[in-house]
Amino acid sequence: MANDREVLREIWDGKIPICFHLAQEEIMEIQQPDPFYVMVPRLSYFPLVTDKMKRHFLRYISQENADNEMWLDYNGQALKWHYPIGFLYDLFCGNDPQLPWTLTVHFTKFPETVLLHCPNKDVVEAHYMSTVKEADVLKHRGQVMSTMQKKDHNQLWLGLQNDKFDQFWAINRRLMESHGDNEGFKHIPIRIYTDDGISCQRLISPKNNDGSRKTVQQLLSELYPDKPEVKLRTHGVLIPLDTPLQWLSEHMSYPDNFLHICLC
Amino acid sequence: MGDENQSDDVSQAALDNVKENEQKENGDAVKSDKIKVDILLKATGNAPIMKKKKWAVDAEKPIGWIMEFVKKYLKLEPEEKLFLYVNQTFAPSPDQIIKNLYECFGTDGKLVLHYCKTQAWG
Repeated sequence: MANDREVLREIWDGKIPICFHLAQEEIMEIQQPDPFYVMVPRLSYFPLVTDKMKRHFLRYISQENADNEMWLDYNGQALKWHYPIGFLYDLFCGNDPQLPWTLTVHFTKFPETVLLHCPNKDVVEAHYMSTVKEADVLKHRGQVMSTMQKKDHNQLWLGLQNDKFDQFWAINRRLMESHGDNEGFKHIPIRIYTDDGISCQRLISPKNNDGSRKTVQQLLSELYPDKPEVKLRTHGVLIPLDTPLQWLSEHMSYPDNFLHICLC
Repeated sequence: MGDENQSDDVSQAALDNVKENEQKENGDAVKSDKIKVDILLKATGNAPIMKKKKWAVDAEKPIGWIMEFVKKYLKLEPEEKLFLYVNQTFAPSPDQIIKNLYECFGTDGKLVLHYCKTQAWG
């Protein structure tokens, strides 16, 4: 059970200051647009927090591009909108914090081979719900999501979209309950990413063979035996090595119920 | 159109890295630079059934690559959609690596994927 409400609340309230600049080649007006500053939730997705920013820049671009899909880059790297914002920041700036995080906004030359298309927020919701279901398959053989009603699924999404902690956790706490009679999930939904953005996802039990709770240190010894100095970062912090995986999963997963962790 | 012609019509580039799942009688491992994962493609809803369902695919490829392959194999129009599901439960993101899905959701040495032209499991 995700009992430590204080931690849950801290994670939920995490924000990153962002400075959006319009790509130079997109600017059609003589007057340069002001950059757009905004605090965004670490737990959210870019398409959910960029409506105002888009309206701000639209009048500066060529009107034939006004209906094009907007996309973002950091230092020339296109940002995958389907990754949580906080995770993207950890991936690109975790080792070398840059605040405000300065991003470039584009309306042309959509990088088809790198980014998925996101024509509307329904696509974000579909992606989000699918990820939650995948996490539930790993944790509970999919039994919690399949026995929930559609309105409960909707409440998860609405809680996330509208920044409603209590509304969200009223449902999410059921996804954080242990599997069957066991103490803990069947497997931990976790994705570990290297610098290049490639993720590793494996079946990870929250328990060792002797039944004891598996810690981050033990996980690292299993997965990266030849890298004894390696560390894990999530939500902007390095994870203490003695953290039990079950606790980590219950308290520091993203709203999609996955741990998204940077290897460093 | 005869069955034996179906492979020819699919773009050769799409089939380049995909080999039919073969059993070696003498038990020797297939020598290959890349690790392959066995996948089994199952039609769902009113999706056409693929004549060849078992494939060995490069483990490092994204699952979106399989989506494109199946679309070409079934000769779908560009605007037609294809949905791919794991465990008959969730639709993986197209950039998810096949190896990750196989390690987590593979059964009996293969990854079973259900495909359809309309949304099946939400």
